[in-house]
Amino acid sequence: MVTLEKIAHLASDCQFDSFGSVGPLDPGSNINLEKLSILGEGTRHDVCASTYSPRKSPLPGICHAFTQDGRCVSLFKTLYTNHCSHQCNYCINSTNCSHRVQTFSYTPDELARVTLSLYRSNYIEGLFLSSGAGRNGDLIMEKMLETLERLRRRYGFSGYIHLKILPGSSQAHIKEAMELADRVSINLEAASSSQLDEICATKSYENDILKRQRYIRDLRGEENLPAGQTTQLVVGAAGESDQDILDRILYEYREIGVKRAYYSAFSPQKGTAFESRKGQPLWREHRLYQMDWLIRVYHFPPGDIKWAFDEEGFLFNSDPKLAIARELLDSPLDPNEAPYRDLIRVPGIGPRSAMRIVALRKTRRIAANRELEALGVVIKRATPFLKINGWRDATLKMWSG
Amino acid sequence: MRVPDDHCRYLAMHAKSSERLLARAKGFKGMDLELTADPEGVRLKKMVRAVRGEIYRMKGFIRLKPLGGQVLWGYMKPRHRIGELICEHFARRNPGVIVVLGYGSESWTALLWQGRMMQDRGAGLDETLGRLKAALGIPEKENGEDADGANLEGGDAGTLDMDDIWQAYYDSQYCLKRKNLQAFQQRMPARDQQSAGLRLVQRRKEMTLEDF
Repeated sequence: MVTLEKIAHLASDCQFDSFGSVGPLDPGSNINLEKLSILGEGTRHDVCASTYSPRKSPLPGICHAFTQDGRCVSLFKTLYTNHCSHQCNYCINSTNCSHRVQTFSYTPDELARVTLSLYRSNYIEGLFLSSGAGRNGDLIMEKMLETLERLRRRYGFSGYIHLKILPGSSQAHIKEAMELADRVSINLEAASSSQLDEICATKSYENDILKRQRYIRDLRGEENLPAGQTTQLVVGAAGESDQDILDRILYEYREIGVKRAYYSAFSPQKGTAFESRKGQPLWREHRLYQMDWLIRVYHFPPGDIKWAFDEEGFLFNSDPKLAIARELLDSPLDPNEAPYRDLIRVPGIGPRSAMRIVALRKTRRIAANRELEALGVVIKRATPFLKINGWRDATLKMWSG
Repeated sequence: MRVPDDHCRYLAMHAKSSERLLARAKGFKGMDLELTADPEGVRLKKMVRAVRGEIYRMKGFIRLKPLGGQVLWGYMKPRHRIGELICEHFARRNPGVIVVLGYGSESWTALLWQGRMMQDRGAGLDETLGRLKAALGIPEKENGEDADGANLEGGDAGTLDMDDIWQAYYDSQYCLKRKNLQAFQQRMPARDQQSAGLRLVQRRKEMTLEDF
C-alpha cells in the first residue's frame, strides 16, 4: 500500500500518450443520438456478436448488460453507415426497400471516440462494426479500417473488435482488417448459391462470399485474428430446410475453418420485397443452435445428427439431442461402465458432467442419482437412459419431448 | 462454473469465510470440490462460486465516471471482500489513470504506474475523492453534485452524459419479438445491480403493467 497523495503525484507524471488530445473519456461534443440509435438499430438482427478472444492475455468475456430479450450487450454493435447499394430482399437498408429511414454515416474519428468513451466508462467490452455498402463498398471498407486503425494505433484501444467484411472486399483490405480486429466475419446469408440468388440479386455467393472466406482462411496466422472468422445465415428467407443449413455449416467448419456460425430467424420488415413472406418462429433458430452445439462442442458425427431431422430435412420443435438419443441408445447405460462418447449422448449429460463422471469413477463407483446430480447431471432428463448398478429408473419420460 | 485450484483465494474473500473453513478447503483440489457430494464440500463449492459470480458481475456492471483527466471513479458496495481485486482489474485496463471504487464507508484506489500496481484503502468514496481533488488540484465546480451524492463532476461541459449515449444505444438493440424478461432478470440480478449502483437497465418509456 502507498498513500493516496503518492498515487496522485505519480498519476500527475503520466503522459497519457495513448489518448492523444482526446482525453480519457471525452466522446466529442457533437454526438447525434438519433444517428447513434438508427445505426445501432441497423445491427439488431446481426446476432454474431459474442466476445471470444483467445489472446495471450485473454479478455474477460464480461457481460455488461442484457436487453429484455435476454441477449448480452457487451459490444457496441453498430453500422458505419446505413446507406447501401445492395438489393437484399429482407433488409430495410436495401435500395429496393420502399420504407427507407434517414441515412446516416459516422466519420472514423467520431466512431472511434464514441467507442473509446463507452469502453473506458465500462459500458462495453469492445466494438462490433458492420455497415451498408454505401455507393462504393471499397470506400466504406476503407473508412471502417480507418476507424479501427485510429482506435488501435492512435488511441491505444485494447478492447475486442469484431469487423464485418463487406462482400466482395479486396484481399488487401481483408489482410489489413485481420491485423486490426480480433474477429472478422462475412455473412453467408443463405445456404447455397441458388438460395442467395432468391434473396439478393446483387451478391455472388461464390465470388463475393466464399472466395473472401477462403482469403481469410489462407491469410490467418499466429500473429493475426486471434478469434478467427465466423458467419451468419438468415433462417427461412429462401425456403431452405434445416438440413440444407447444417450441411452448409458443416462445410464451413470443416473446409473454411469458421469458428462458429450464427442463425437469425427471418423476420419480414416493412417496405422490403419480402414484407409479405411469413416470418420464421424463434424456436427454429433455437433448435439450429442446439444442433450446432452438438456438432461443435459434443462433436457428434454427421451419422448421429441426421436422426434429428424429419423426412423433409426440418427439425422438430423439441430437443434434438433427445431425438438422437431415442434412435441411438437402445438400452440404458451404466454410468460406471459407459465410455465418454456414449455418456454425452444421454440427454442431461454434457461434456463437463461426462468428464466429471469419468474422473469420479476412477476412485469409486457411482451408487445413486444424487451423486450424479452433484456432478451436474440433469437427473430428470437423464434417468430414463441410465441404470446404476443394474437398477433403472424407467419412466415414460423417455418418450416425451 | 469450474472450481479453480486457487479456490482458497476466493474463499478468503467470502463474507462468511473463517479460519476453520479455509483450513478445511486447503485439503481439496479444485477437481475434488467439483466432484464432492459431502455437505461441507458442497458448501465450500457454493461459497467459492458466490464470490466468483460477484466478481464477474461487478467487472461488468460497474460504471466509471471521470474526475478531471486522471481519475475514474465508480460506486461499488460488494457483499464479499472483492473491492481490492475489482479496483485492480480496472486499473490494469486503464494504465496511468487512478481508479477509485467504493461507497459511504469504504473505498479502494489503484493505479498501474510503469507496470507496478499502487493501491490504497480509504474510509469512503467521498472522502477519497475529496483528497484526490485536493492533491491533483481539481477545482470544485458549481452544480457538481452527482446522483450518488458525491460532490463530483463528470466530463467536460458541453459533452453528452455517457449514460444518455449508452441508453440511446441500449434501447436501439431492443427487439420486442424476442422479449424474455426471465432471462433478463436471471442475468441482471437486482442484488448485483444494486451493489454496482447501476440504474436498472430497461426501456422505461415502453414499460407496461405486464412488466411488473
